[in-house]
Amino acid sequence: MENEKTVNEEKQYSSFRYALGAVLAFFGISSRTHRASKKRARLVADILTYVVLILGAFVMIYPFWWMLAGSFAYTADRWGNQYLTQLVWWPKNSTFQVETLHHGAFYNYAELFVGGFKASEFNPSFNYWRAVLNNLIYSVVPVVVGVITSAMAAFSFAKIEWVGRNKVFMFLLAAIMVPGPSIMTAQYVMYSSFNMLNGLALVIPGLFGSIMTAFFIRQFLFGMPTSIIEAAKIDGAGYGRIFVQFILPLAMPAIVAQGLLSFMGCWNNYMGSYIFINSRSQWVNLPHAMYIMASISNKYVNNQGPVIAASVMCVLPVLILFAVFQKMIIGSLMLTGSKE
Amino acid sequence: MEEITAAAAENAGEVTVAAAVPPKKKRHINQQKLQDNLWGWVFCVPLIVGTVLFVYTALVIALILSFGHYTTAQGSVWEYLGRMFSGKANISDPFYWYKWVFCENEWSSSIWAGSQGTHVSWAYPEIGEQIGTTVNAAGATLFNTVFYMIGIPIGMVLSMFFAVCMSRDIKGGNVFRVLYYIPCVASTIAIIYTFKLLFKYDGLINKMFGSSIPWLKLGEGDSIIEMGAAQGIDPYWSQGLVSKLVIVIMSVWKGLGGTIILYVAGLSGVNAATKEAAQIDGASNWTTFWRVTMPDLYPVIFYNIVTSVIGGMQIYAEPELFFGTGAGVDLMTAGYVSLIWFRGIREGNASLGAAYGMVLALIILVLTLFQFWLDSRNKD
Repeated sequence: MENEKTVNEEKQYSSFRYALGAVLAFFGISSRTHRASKKRARLVADILTYVVLILGAFVMIYPFWWMLAGSFAYTADRWGNQYLTQLVWWPKNSTFQVETLHHGAFYNYAELFVGGFKASEFNPSFNYWRAVLNNLIYSVVPVVVGVITSAMAAFSFAKIEWVGRNKVFMFLLAAIMVPGPSIMTAQYVMYSSFNMLNGLALVIPGLFGSIMTAFFIRQFLFGMPTSIIEAAKIDGAGYGRIFVQFILPLAMPAIVAQGLLSFMGCWNNYMGSYIFINSRSQWVNLPHAMYIMASISNKYVNNQGPVIAASVMCVLPVLILFAVFQKMIIGSLMLTGSKE
Repeated sequence: MEEITAAAAENAGEVTVAAAVPPKKKRHINQQKLQDNLWGWVFCVPLIVGTVLFVYTALVIALILSFGHYTTAQGSVWEYLGRMFSGKANISDPFYWYKWVFCENEWSSSIWAGSQGTHVSWAYPEIGEQIGTTVNAAGATLFNTVFYMIGIPIGMVLSMFFAVCMSRDIKGGNVFRVLYYIPCVASTIAIIYTFKLLFKYDGLINKMFGSSIPWLKLGEGDSIIEMGAAQGIDPYWSQGLVSKLVIVIMSVWKGLGGTIILYVAGLSGVNAATKEAAQIDGASNWTTFWRVTMPDLYPVIFYNIVTSVIGGMQIYAEPELFFGTGAGVDLMTAGYVSLIWFRGIREGNASLGAAYGMVLALIILVLTLFQFWLDSRNKD
């Protein structure tokens, strides 16, 4: 037996090396003593990939779980903050527990909805629902109107032949090279001279559409056959009718995806509100109001529970939208990536 | 209009060549071109008006204001611009604010006092006194901004790794793509509030690693400060680096998903035939990745680098939300944009804010051009 092996492999391996080779082969790694099967190697690599991806996904998701668990921590008593900081999976003094239950299982949310913003830093009549309403106005109105104006421009740039089209397009595209913060002060003094430093500063500029949105919809329209438009023209349809009846329905996937992305951007737009809107006015949006609420929490009031509840309520609508439309959004982003 | 008539003349020429064409059709073509030109403009008008009004006009105003002395207390900006053009604005030195951006320290050494009203201040005045003689506000915040950019290469390597894992032929790769993208869509303020609690001195991160690092603020725990002090390092470096690291970690975590999607899209576009040919020729997976996949991915990576650097130079909300007090600029952590906000809007010195902004625009332009220059050299 031993003789045969030496003949076959022409070299004697120590028994340890031989055992190591067997173990390695079991895990799909070929060595001099053993050859691993391709199938085994693939299986092991797949398992490793899953382990890595699941670990990464855990790191990505865990802070959100922490946020959700934290929103059920009872923080109003003297141990509250300590329990909150030591939270790992579920708070020791959750609002579901018997001792704290007389505050209600959703104590933090109730506090937030009813009295969370009652502090000297806010206008007395300001409340959570006002912040939500403001945020809805700032993110629905400019996005819906803006996406349509962008689609109009995209239609014109992609499908209508007119003199100077490419020059105008380059002129507009050059505007994305201008960094937003550089012109922030000029925008501020302009808006202030137009009396736009209430909510209007976050609504009006958005109504005119955005260049990036127009750019992506234009890319999408390039992939569409022009013959449909030609046929419609021959049948006597005007450009307005072509846009409403052909372009809008056909480009709907791109329009919806871009609209959702800009909706999320506007919903989370902390900087715009912080720069253009006075912190003591009625017009601050939800992230800005949360910032004020959190900064009060550090100084005077122990309302960390309601602030975390506010975080959950701020993230939740966007996450639901994303979950529903994820295929569209990811697809649109992938298209951006492959077209570079 | 000139082009239209030229086109008409061209059509007329065609008609004379092909004499059989009836005159009615010629007229029809002209009508069509006119319609095209008219409606092309009509559909673009909103976007053009918006861009000209809110971007280009603002840019021109910022450029003009940066040479003047306008504060928001002086009334409407249009009046001031009128005074500037009629020569009544009394500007002795047009480059005053640009000089201020670079020489602020020598001009007003008392600025570090910090206690009087709203001044740009070091969060801890003694630190400002220590290094105030060598770095001014613009320098310190620019350093912070550049420091935050170490997150870009880290994020690129990590997301490339995950993207390669996801584009293996396994079940459920799409699910991971969605899960990893969730932080990108979540609100920054909500995430930062959570991270602030996670990174507390007695919080989860320190407990998990058994460390006692004062991630967030000076004086929370003092091991780092003491260690630094024993070596003669002042807290600006010891505490500052630790605090900045939190922001780097958060922005890498938050930005990972978007880059992964870009790379997965790029990887799916890599030529499979070339890959197979390389493997038949006996190239290992590692060699195939570097020699075949990476060159194909180069455009995506380049696009990613350019946009990340442009975005990274404009970092504002993260340091402001983590460490900002809302009353000044914390020079230990704040990004450069915080200065624009503080000087131009909070203090109302619009000219200084505009000058800071123009310098930022110039820096970004130079960086972008530099990258494109490297790119063009690479291609030769």
